[in-house]
Amino acid sequence: MNITCADRDRIFMDGSAEEWAALEQHAESCAECSEELRAWKSISIAAEELRDYKEDQALWAKIEGSLRENARRHGFWTRLEFWRAFPIGWQAALAGALVLALALAGVYVFIERNTPGNASDKLLKNSALAEVERTERDYMKAIDKLAADAQPQLDSPSSPLMASYREKLTVLDSAIDELRAEAGQNPSNAHLRYQLLAMYQEKQETLREVLETKR
Amino acid sequence: MGSVGLTLPWEHRISPMADQGDGRVEPEIEAQPNQTTNASPADAALAAGCLAGDMRAYERLYSLQGARMRNLARNLLGSQTDAEDAVQETFLKIQRSIRSFRGHSSFVTWAFRILVNTCHDIRRSRTRRREQVQTDQDEAKPLGEPRAPGAHPSLRLALERALTTLTKHQREVFLLYEVEGFRHAEIASLLEISETASKNTLFQAKKSLRSMLEPPRSADAGGAR
Repeated sequence: MNITCADRDRIFMDGSAEEWAALEQHAESCAECSEELRAWKSISIAAEELRDYKEDQALWAKIEGSLRENARRHGFWTRLEFWRAFPIGWQAALAGALVLALALAGVYVFIERNTPGNASDKLLKNSALAEVERTERDYMKAIDKLAADAQPQLDSPSSPLMASYREKLTVLDSAIDELRAEAGQNPSNAHLRYQLLAMYQEKQETLREVLETKR
Repeated sequence: MGSVGLTLPWEHRISPMADQGDGRVEPEIEAQPNQTTNASPADAALAAGCLAGDMRAYERLYSLQGARMRNLARNLLGSQTDAEDAVQETFLKIQRSIRSFRGHSSFVTWAFRILVNTCHDIRRSRTRRREQVQTDQDEAKPLGEPRAPGAHPSLRLALERALTTLTKHQREVFLLYEVEGFRHAEIASLLEISETASKNTLFQAKKSLRSMLEPPRSADAGGAR
């Protein structure tokens, strides 16, 4: 193979083994190429000075610690990696099914909330509360009027039956006071209102019985 | 290009071995001790172990490539501490992104690609930090820290300084090829460039280094062809 000085750089960059051998042969009779070849090789030799492959077990201990910590921290998410095992079509289908399930759950909750008689309805709305309180006041007035009519008979100490009615009415009044106090603290609690209504009805019934005894 | 005050007598720079020829001067014919082969069974086993989260696989990767990784990082960053941080960060990145490894290159090449990118990140953040601090101490600090105890200090220093004048790409290709023993095909995969670009970049890098470390040539040297 015939090599000249002009081929030198090309061989330095991308020469084949044969071309390198030919360049070496040429350099034996060419001072410039000999010098360039030696200098070129010397850079590779010098590069070895930048090589220090000393073992460092302390660094591995540090790396191992951080790898374990990282694995522990990301363990949960790693366990969810099974998702990737599904083909992309399945992933899309499963994601769609999940979205559909969530949408159905949302619709169900919406319908349940708007169906009368649910637990959520036990909390009265403000407008309904005002109406309940007004009706309650009227009801109380009517009962008070009934109580005023029955009072003379109740004041009579002779009959043990009247004494029993008196005692029952005292218990009912006490219960009504307690329930009203509780309803005052929690006016929207429909359950308390129902209990209060039941007490009023019981009182009304008892007073009616007292009045009927008179007849 | 001038020698920028880096010239040393050749007898200091060139070991007697230089005249006997260096396998790496020639194109990739001779296998290097640290050379990695694409998708070898050992490489695939290492990747599979890491993918399974087997800590022994990571330890094996470290025992096989850790020293070389640290050496490359140190030469790229000029700091032992930063180099160790880079290697540690590289292992964490391998652990986090092992599932994205598709085997287009060898696992080791892929790991070194992560390392080189991590070094870029560290270098960038360090530059930003230095710009913020702006201390004279930082500016005066030399790039390199003490290296191989056996290395010739003058030669090492001269070469280190010369390397800082190269472009980032030239420095990376030079270090990967000449110091770490990667082949051009591996460097191409690692730096995501073509093999020809790797060869060309190495040639330019060595030419620049040759100019900077150039000895005074004898008057009659340029004669015969």
